[in-house]
Amino acid sequence: MDSEIKMSESESMELITSMINKAKNYYGETGLFYLIWGWLILFCCLTQFVSIYFFQSAKGNYVWLLIYAVLIFQIIYIRRAKKFRRTKTYTRDINSYVWISFFICLMLIMFICISFKRYELINPLLLVLYGVPTFLSGIIIKFKPLIFGGIFCWIMALISPFVNTDYHALLIAAAVIAAWIIPGHLLRSKYKSEMAGKNNESGF
Amino acid sequence: MKVDFKELDPILHSQLRLAVMSLLISVSEAEFTFLKDKTNATSGNLSVQITKLKEAGYIEITKQFNNNYPQTICKITPKGILAFENYVKALKTYMSL
Repeated sequence: MDSEIKMSESESMELITSMINKAKNYYGETGLFYLIWGWLILFCCLTQFVSIYFFQSAKGNYVWLLIYAVLIFQIIYIRRAKKFRRTKTYTRDINSYVWISFFICLMLIMFICISFKRYELINPLLLVLYGVPTFLSGIIIKFKPLIFGGIFCWIMALISPFVNTDYHALLIAAAVIAAWIIPGHLLRSKYKSEMAGKNNESGF
Repeated sequence: MKVDFKELDPILHSQLRLAVMSLLISVSEAEFTFLKDKTNATSGNLSVQITKLKEAGYIEITKQFNNNYPQTICKITPKGILAFENYVKALKTYMSL
């Protein structure tokens, strides 16, 4: 692109439209957090299921404490990432607020269910909740695997009343595979291929 | 009917500078590599044009090091947003004739 080429009015307008469209289609989504949380929840669900189903022990529930460790890691990672700023889009900002709302709702649902001692409702309600940010993120970044993943979470929520509560952890496991792990890997490979195609020059 | 002709801002009425401003108006902030990638410009040319935009007060430039690599972040300023809006308005005036 030459800086000193003078353009007609219509060429200027075409250039503006084309650049805005290019920026609009950039999301810079690495897929990292979908993978971390997807694999973590899958591991926790399977550990909980094995502990209850094969050993009739509730000790497996302690595995969920790993969530706090990962949460601390995520906070440190985000603080560090903010220090080293990269290209930030408005859609990315909106997407962050969607996930913050999800986290707040998650905490509230857990608190309400535990307060009323309605433990059997936790997993079905979590399935409903998992679908919301996943579906919305798919719409925001125009990524179909996330949209399908969100819908899959709701299907799992729909069938949960007909499944014995002992197996609810398996429904969650299936949901995180479809909603976070598969889309996470797809986003990661897409991001890596985009990065590989970029020139390594980083500034002037 | 009298049409009010506004002169097109010479800082913006140049292919690469206009492309950079159009990208920056669409994102919160952007890395140099992002701008280079989207505009297909050479590093040298892009650097010169970005400096001109900065001197006009249309963008802010922040330089930092990320893992020992220099990183340049560009962000449009309120003055830049206003200039871009006025440029688009002026373009529309010309095109409506």
